Amino acid sequence: MGTILFNAFASLQQKLKDKNQEFANVTIQIPHDYTAADLIKDMALAPEDVEAVFINGTVKPFDSILHDGDRIALVPPGTPGPYRVFLGMKNKNNRSGN
Amino acid sequence: MSKLLRINTKEKTYTFEEAGELAALGGRALTSKMILDEVPATCHPLSKSNKLVIAPGLLGGTPAFNSGRLSVGAKSPLTGGIKESNAGGLVAQKLAKMDIKAVVLEDKPEIDDAFSMLVIKKDSVEFLPADEYAGQGTNATINGLWDKYGKRTAVMCIGQAGEQRLTGASIQLADPKGHAGRACGRGGLGAVMGSKKIKAIVVDDTSADKVPVADPEAFKEANKKWGRLLKDHPVTGQGLPSFGTAILVNIVNEAGALPTKNFREGRFEFAQDISGERMVELINERGGVPTEGCHPGCVIRCSQVYHDKNGKYLTSGFEYETIWGFGSNLLVKDYDEIAMMDAICDDVGVDTIEMAGSLGVAMEGGLIQWGDGQAAIDLLNKIKTGDPLGKIIGNGAAFTGKALGVDRVPVVKNQTIPAYDPRAVKGVGVTYATSPMGADHTAGYSVTANILKVGGDVNPLKKENNIELSKNLQIATAAIDAAGLCLFVAFAVLDSDNGIQLIVDMINARYGLSLTPDDVIALGKSILENENEFNRRAGFTKKDDQLPSFFKDERLPPHNTTWDFTEEELQTAKVS
Ligand code: SF4
Repeated sequence: MGTILFNAFASLQQKLKDKNQEFANVTIQIPHDYTAADLIKDMALAPEDVEAVFINGTVKPFDSILHDGDRIALVPPGTPGPYRVFLGMKNKNNRSGN
Repeated sequence: MSKLLRINTKEKTYTFEEAGELAALGGRALTSKMILDEVPATCHPLSKSNKLVIAPGLLGGTPAFNSGRLSVGAKSPLTGGIKESNAGGLVAQKLAKMDIKAVVLEDKPEIDDAFSMLVIKKDSVEFLPADEYAGQGTNATINGLWDKYGKRTAVMCIGQAGEQRLTGASIQLADPKGHAGRACGRGGLGAVMGSKKIKAIVVDDTSADKVPVADPEAFKEANKKWGRLLKDHPVTGQGLPSFGTAILVNIVNEAGALPTKNFREGRFEFAQDISGERMVELINERGGVPTEGCHPGCVIRCSQVYHDKNGKYLTSGFEYETIWGFGSNLLVKDYDEIAMMDAICDDVGVDTIEMAGSLGVAMEGGLIQWGDGQAAIDLLNKIKTGDPLGKIIGNGAAFTGKALGVDRVPVVKNQTIPAYDPRAVKGVGVTYATSPMGADHTAGYSVTANILKVGGDVNPLKKENNIELSKNLQIATAAIDAAGLCLFVAFAVLDSDNGIQLIVDMINARYGLSLTPDDVIALGKSILENENEFNRRAGFTKKDDQLPSFFKDERLPPHNTTWDFTEEELQTAKVS
C-alpha cells in the first residue's frame, strides 16, 4: 500500500477529462506490486495512448513497480523528436511487460 | 540562371551576378560558405567588412511542404563567431521565385546617415528613404509597408533595437497575416542590418515565374508522400498542431530539466500555470487561434495567436523557449505577463531567449525582483526609448552581467543558454557547448535515427552516448537548414525510414540531380566544417566550447546532477 502523485500531459488530459478523471497533481492510493501498466489500465487508457512514463523524473519501462511516494507522469505520443531521444523516451522498450 | 543580388549599402547600388558554383547551395550552406569566403573572420561585426547574407533554402519557393524557411547569416555581433539565424515568413519563398539565391548587404554608410529601405523586384532594387519608419516598432513598420506595397509582398525589418545596433537585436519577418511574429532572433543580426542603415526590405515577386522543377512528376510524387509523412506522425500531426512547442513545458519540467530562477532548479512549482495545455485553454477561451502556420505550405502549424484578457491580439508565434525564458526562468507565472514580454520583444526587435537571459541576470543583480513580471515588462520597454538601462538589457545576458557585476551568467560564446538545463539533458548541453553558433538548441534539433544511427539507450542524466548523439544531430540539422525546411519536420523524419530519402528525392527532382542521403549528410558536415573554420580564424579555441563553471560546481535538483564533460570529451563532438 502507498500513495503516488499523478499527472497526465497533453492530449491525455482531455481523454481523462472525458472520463471524469482528474489529471493534475492527483494523489492516488496504490496496492502492492502495482506497475505503471496497471495504472494506465486503471485509468481506462489504452497502452498506445501513452508513449512514456516518468517515474520521479526519469523515463522508465511500463512494467516498473510503483512505490509509496513516487511521482508519476504519463506522456502521450507527440513529444518533439529530438527530445524524445534526449530525454530517453525513444528505444526504451517502454512496452516490455505489456 | 540563379543569381546573387549584391547590394552596396554605402553607394546605394546593386548588381545581379551569376551564382556560379554557389548555385548548388542553399540556406545555411550558402550563408555560411559566403561568410567564410568573403568576411574577414577578425573584422568587427558592425564594420563595413561584415556582410548580411539572406538566403532561401534549396527547396524554397517550391510546393514542398514546410520549405519556406529563410536563413540569414553574418559574423555575429553577440558571439563574435559565425551565425546563421532561421525564420519563417514570406521572404524565402518570394526570393526563390525570383531565382535569387541570396541577397548580400555589403559595405555601410556613415553612422549618422539616415535609414533606407529596399524594395526588391525581379530585376531591380529601389533604395528609398525610410524616415517614416525609422524609430518605429516592427509592427508599425510592417503595417505601413503593407499599406503601401500591398499584402502580397514580403517584409523583413528591424525595430528600435536593431537601429541602436544592440547585440540582442533580431530581424523580424511578417507572417502571412502581417504580424511581426517571426524572428531571426539569435546572434544579434538585427544590429548588422542596423549598421548598414537598412530599416526594412520589401520583396515583391509580382512578375516572377514559378520555380522551375526539372522533373515535375517525381517532385509531386515525393511531396505527396512528404505531406502524408508529416500529417500522419503524432508529433507533427497532433502534438505540435494542438499545443505548439509549449507542449514541452510540462514534459521538460517533469524531467527535472526546466531551468528555474536562472538555472538554480530543474522544476518550477507553477509549471502547470505556464504549460502548453494551459495556453491552449486561454487561447480558446479568448477567441485566439490555437494553430496556424508561419508561412504558406506549412502543414504542421505550430504557431498560434494569443489574445489578452479583453480578447484583443497580444502576440503570435509563442514558443516554448519564450515561455520558459520569461516564465520559470524569472519565477513569473502569469501567462499574460509572459505574452506581453514576447510581444514587446517582437515589436522592438530583440531575441526573446537573449532577453530572458538579460532579465534573469537583472534579477540576479537585484535590479528588479524575482517574479516581478511587471518590472520585467517595464525594463524591456526601456529598449525602445534608448534609455541606458534598455541598452544594457538589449545587449544581452553577458553584457548585463558585466554592467551589474553578476557572475551567474548562463551563456556560451556570449549567447544565452535556452530552455533545457544541460545538467539534466546532457545531450543538449553538448550541443550548447560545441555548436559554432554559441548556446543554441536548434543547432542540434533534428536527425534521422536510422541513417545517423542515433539511438541506443540514451540516459539524459549520464554522459554515455550523448556526445555521439549531439554530433549527429548537429550534422542533420545543418542539412535540413540548407534545404530550407522547417526543423520541426525532423520530428517526423526521425521516426521514418524514408524521411531523408523523400527530402533528397525532392531536391533531385527540383534540380535534376541524383544525390543520395549520404550526399546530404556530407553537406551537413561541410556546413559545420565551414562554420568551425570561420570561428577558428576568428580566434575561438576549445576554451570557448565550455559551459559556465557553475554548471560544474552546483548540483541541479531534483536529480542533483552536475555537468561533468571534460574539455577533450567535448572536442570529439565537433566536426573538424
Ligand atoms: S511547424 Fe511551426 S515553425 Fe515550422 S513552418 Fe510550421 S509554423 Fe513555421
